[in-house]
Amino acid sequence: MNLKTIRSIIAFGVLVILITALNQTSSVAMENSALKSAIIMRKPIHKPLICLNCHRARNLNTNEGIISSNAFCYECHRKADIKKKIGTSDISLQITPDTFNKNQPEHRFVACIQCHTDVARSPHKTETGATCLECHPYHSEDIANSPHLRVSCQACHFKSKFVQLDPKDHIVKLAHANYIGVPISLSNHAMADTADRRTCKKCHFKKNQVGAPAIVLPSKGAICILCHNAPLAMGSPIFGLAGVIFIAGLFFMITFWFKGNVKGEETSFHRKMSLSSESVWNTIFSKQIFSLVKIFILDIILQRRILKESVSRWAMHSLIFTSILLRCGLAIFTAIGYYFDPRGNLIIALINKNNWFTASVNDLLGLFILIGVVWAVIRRFIVKPEQVTSEYQDTIALMIIGILVLLGFLLEGTRILMTGIPYNTAVYSFVGYIVSLGLFIFHLDWTSVYPLMWYAHGTVAAIFVAYLPFGKMKHIFNAPLTYFIEAVDGVKK
Amino acid sequence: METNQKPGESYQRFHVLHRLLHIIVIVNFTMLAITGFLLYFSGSVWASSLVSIIGGAKALGWLHRFCAVFLYIGVLVHILWLFYYKIVLKQNLSGAATMMPNKKDIKDIVQNVKYMFNKGNLPSFDRFSYLEKVDYWAVMLGMQSMGITGLMMWFPEFFSRIFPGYFINIAVHFHLHEAVLAVMYIGLVHMSDTHLVPDVFPLQKTIFTGRIDKLRFMEDHPEEWKRQQMTEINQP
Repeated sequence: MNLKTIRSIIAFGVLVILITALNQTSSVAMENSALKSAIIMRKPIHKPLICLNCHRARNLNTNEGIISSNAFCYECHRKADIKKKIGTSDISLQITPDTFNKNQPEHRFVACIQCHTDVARSPHKTETGATCLECHPYHSEDIANSPHLRVSCQACHFKSKFVQLDPKDHIVKLAHANYIGVPISLSNHAMADTADRRTCKKCHFKKNQVGAPAIVLPSKGAICILCHNAPLAMGSPIFGLAGVIFIAGLFFMITFWFKGNVKGEETSFHRKMSLSSESVWNTIFSKQIFSLVKIFILDIILQRRILKESVSRWAMHSLIFTSILLRCGLAIFTAIGYYFDPRGNLIIALINKNNWFTASVNDLLGLFILIGVVWAVIRRFIVKPEQVTSEYQDTIALMIIGILVLLGFLLEGTRILMTGIPYNTAVYSFVGYIVSLGLFIFHLDWTSVYPLMWYAHGTVAAIFVAYLPFGKMKHIFNAPLTYFIEAVDGVKK
Repeated sequence: METNQKPGESYQRFHVLHRLLHIIVIVNFTMLAITGFLLYFSGSVWASSLVSIIGGAKALGWLHRFCAVFLYIGVLVHILWLFYYKIVLKQNLSGAATMMPNKKDIKDIVQNVKYMFNKGNLPSFDRFSYLEKVDYWAVMLGMQSMGITGLMMWFPEFFSRIFPGYFINIAVHFHLHEAVLAVMYIGLVHMSDTHLVPDVFPLQKTIFTGRIDKLRFMEDHPEEWKRQQMTEINQP
């Protein structure tokens, strides 16, 4: 049992604990809001009498059972005079079967108690409201991305213009009163048309009180998967264009490689493709594949060759490279995991930017990238070692990455200020939190600033991805390929 | 799978795209057969435990369609290759050295049957013997009809707008019976031809390495061998 084995076992153990911990965390306040709000309001939680503990439940797997179960609720709620008093106003609680079936035809054969899970009891008062998540998963990144984890389903999907930010659990919910304080009835179950962009204006307007950006922002593009959890979507045309330029750049790069000839073969492209694909195939299905895998792990992922030459240069490069690699790995893991288990605690934790793990790991890796870039800038432009020549492409490459990360942290600080998340949640995004403290001294309308910063960060990111096959960043394609070809051809330095 | 690099020992028969497509067909066809039959017989005793292990009929159905889509992408890539072959490389799609059946195949069948009854010699095959052509066309045409009937079962609402409703039932039966045919053909005929024929036992490597041994070339495809020798003499 040598040191290496012990280290691997410890690393494995840490990983297991981490994943178990993430699975336990109920990272979204909504699931615990009933308990939390009760605790915060300091109400005594006397045990309610649950009807179905004694009375026989209907078989909700049949249409007859659902209609018969609903008959109980409708007996009181279909009456015109059913109401509750809020202050001095009488608020109607009426809902008739016809109205419900007209407004929510898709839920015609869903029983009242399948959504209103906690009303079949005395006291007859719901803590949670309707729980859509019993059947529906959260939205994926491309439709209503992770910022909407802090918004209740009803706030968008119900036809009511009035929303509020609940100060107890920081969730955006439907308001029970209009903006001049007059209580309103929400019982007609009318659904909003979420395909109509005007529904979004409920929250997305300048100086709104729920912490939404002043305009509806697009989702991240698929190219953002290099660092962030991203959907398979274009997002904004900026990202689509960057993706196209990236692919075109790859195409030009590869065509350039095929312009020459090695063994005197004809200039036919078909012949070159044949020869190169033959040698690729014969390499993959041979014993050489093992040495290639070894080179991939040691030289490309762990950057062994730079480490042998200089520890400080290895550290500087790894701060940038390994951080991006880890972020990309986490993002791809989240994207695939979301596909298989969209309601799992682990995936929701990874999508939720305010989750302790996601926030702190992303901020730490982003900080590493920034430190690496600053170190590189100091080395290249201030220390200026003799053997390092600087062309304008070097400056461009460094500047793009540096500005991108800086804008990212500024964006995060703005988001923290805009959404007004409390200290004990925000502190896990430790860099963003410090940035938000700094930005706080400028009393700006953060709902208007955030979209500008978002587009700034997004545009620089798009330029970064589009520029990858050009300039000095080409080395991310060239260097690994060179290592593989050297290994197969047996060229020793 | 190391290859004979010495010239004169083996000759290039299949290029990389064809080898890749064949592997795609192997994997996806096998998965389709397994998931398909587990789906059809999911009620029976032997299937139900396997079905629940994989994740239920819904997961099986998803996997079945996933493999079907990938297999059909392979078909489309093959068809694109055929366009490339004809238009860019300016080769012929029908002729002696192609998969298109011709009169020689009929003569070969007759001669081969006679040979099985000890009358006469083995036929002199060209690049693809009649059996290999049947193999190719059974799969190629089979994939089209399996694809259509499969799509009809996948999107019955769409297809019942074009066809009468009972076509969906016909599609189910067609799909099942053709699946039985395909699996039996591959399992009995194709496996025998590539694994059990004494000359090539245990496995004929050509479809994986792309190169055919000189002996196999001379014995199994003599017409093509003769043509190959003529072009070598004319262009050394």
